[in-house]
Amino acid sequence: MRLRLIYSPKVVEKPILATVILKTGVPLNILEAKVDAQRGELVVSIPAEGERLQRVISLFQDSGVEVQLLTETLQIDLEKCISCGACISPCPTGALRFGPDWTIDFVEEKCVTCKVCVKACPVKAISIP
Amino acid sequence: MGGKEQSRRIRSVKEINEKIKRGDAVVLTAEEMIDLVESSGLEVAAKEVDVVTTGTFGAMCSSGAFLNFGHANPPIKMVRCWLNDVPVYKGLAAVDGYLGAAAMSETRGFEYGGGHVIEDLLSGEEVELRGESYGTDCYPRRHVETTITLDDLNQAVLVNPRNCYQTYDAATNSSDRVLYTYMGTLLPNYGNVTFSGAGQLNPLCKDRYYETIGVGTRIFLGGGVGYIIGEGTQHSPQGGFGTLMVKGDMKQMSNRYLRGASFYNYGTTLYVGVGIPIPIINMRVAETASLRDEDIYVKIRDYGAPLRPDLRPVVRKVSYAELRSGKVTINGRDVPSSPLSSYKMALEIAEVLKKWILEGEFFLTEPVEPLPKYREFKPMKLRRRELTVQDLMRRDVVTASPEDDIKTVAKKLVERGVDHLPVVDKDSRLLGIVTSWDLAKAIAQGSERLEEIMTRRVITAYGDESVDVVVRRMAQHNISGVPVVDRFKRVVGILTTDDVSRRLVGRPTG
Repeated sequence: MRLRLIYSPKVVEKPILATVILKTGVPLNILEAKVDAQRGELVVSIPAEGERLQRVISLFQDSGVEVQLLTETLQIDLEKCISCGACISPCPTGALRFGPDWTIDFVEEKCVTCKVCVKACPVKAISIP
Repeated sequence: MGGKEQSRRIRSVKEINEKIKRGDAVVLTAEEMIDLVESSGLEVAAKEVDVVTTGTFGAMCSSGAFLNFGHANPPIKMVRCWLNDVPVYKGLAAVDGYLGAAAMSETRGFEYGGGHVIEDLLSGEEVELRGESYGTDCYPRRHVETTITLDDLNQAVLVNPRNCYQTYDAATNSSDRVLYTYMGTLLPNYGNVTFSGAGQLNPLCKDRYYETIGVGTRIFLGGGVGYIIGEGTQHSPQGGFGTLMVKGDMKQMSNRYLRGASFYNYGTTLYVGVGIPIPIINMRVAETASLRDEDIYVKIRDYGAPLRPDLRPVVRKVSYAELRSGKVTINGRDVPSSPLSSYKMALEIAEVLKKWILEGEFFLTEPVEPLPKYREFKPMKLRRRELTVQDLMRRDVVTASPEDDIKTVAKKLVERGVDHLPVVDKDSRLLGIVTSWDLAKAIAQGSERLEEIMTRRVITAYGDESVDVVVRRMAQHNISGVPVVDRFKRVVGILTTDDVSRRLVGRPTG
């Protein structure tokens, strides 16, 4: 499961992420991070399910962090796609690759919806719903 | 094998066409030819195979179509014309025009261009036509607005001045920001490599010495039949950069093999499908027709430097096989690589052409004239002196040292009437910069010393850089001035947007 964590100015300086990892023992992986003095935004992937996942989410929420579940990912319009590959190397997480017959293969779990591929596609075949 | 042996004729194009007519020609795609040579050897393959089909499907900006709209009544001599708001070249007769793939819509910009209009026409869609004129005795009409379809046009002839690059240098980016180029999205700090070209399927790679491909060669073009009409513009075969000029009847073509496209923040283009049959007339042609991606090399160039294409620094040489593997090693690091042209579509084109030949629908041609084997690709000569940074920069730079206290510096800025203050060491080497805005903030927050507030990562310029390049750099970083430094980082001047605009608008006198 991927989460977007939004830190308000009130909590941006607290070591919340480290605390959550120590308390739950879940090795969170940071996929994206934008932090400044005003605000913080992280995208993390959480290798946990069920109760453990719920505990991670609650701990963040109890610490004043807004949590969004990232379930929306890319849609590739295969009618439009010309299988060129222009989206593949700009993808920072390796979520796009060639399949065995040189068509584009999308690995949903790896996608962080950064939208780099949307700009990179020359035939506007990729959209985020 | 000696040169004489290599050029000894195995079969003629005439003999091949007779076999096609009889239905017993042996035709392989370039991929199948490679496999056959690997399993049975070159001699056997050359003896067995009559034709190798090739294909490529990539963005080819130098493409477009001559269109004849027919006359309205009363008639108009269109001097300006648009299709779906994309300008059509009208330096031709009254109702002839040329629609270029890279022409962009005047209302939708990067989103839509000539390439898209071509695709829409092929899809059977109605396209808005708008024309303007000054009115003449024979063509009194001054304005026309209607819709047209491909069927309405008398002629729609695709004429592409440069298609089918034999190979093309790959691209990467050493700079610290994302670049949006005609080679796609290039991530900073050598974040990725993009490349274009079908490599082992590319027509000109498969007849490396242009023995069978030439003026008059019949080809697959955009899903229909087309012809090579000559060398393409920028044809530069000695370096492996041969190109072709091609034409074909657009009315026979298909929107599967001609696709409008746009490269983000660069512009619009057309993906063109080209396939060329290679008759295996001698051993040398057989040998190049079986070249593999492993054997075809290009350079990786750094687009981080805003230089003329041939001056972009070469990072390394690389084979199409390594490029196609998905990662390329740069400075000891694995960097993701991906193509911009479609290998899948290139394969499909080679297959379609093979089918046409096997079914006796497509016959091979001998060239009327060969393509040139040597052609210099000259850069543009700039004969007028152009403005560089040192022509516009101010040399009496007000600087400060990092130990200076803020109030003194603020006073200095006010007295000298400047907004940008480079911070330098005792040898004039640049350490940072502060602006009047930084100072205002510092005073409000009670900071005392310059080094607490100065920006250390300074955007700079060199004196010999083009003003256009530096103005673009300032706009990209949203700043209004840059210190001008020499190669030792010593501050030699300062250039601000004020200096540039004053020069362009003219300084008020008196």
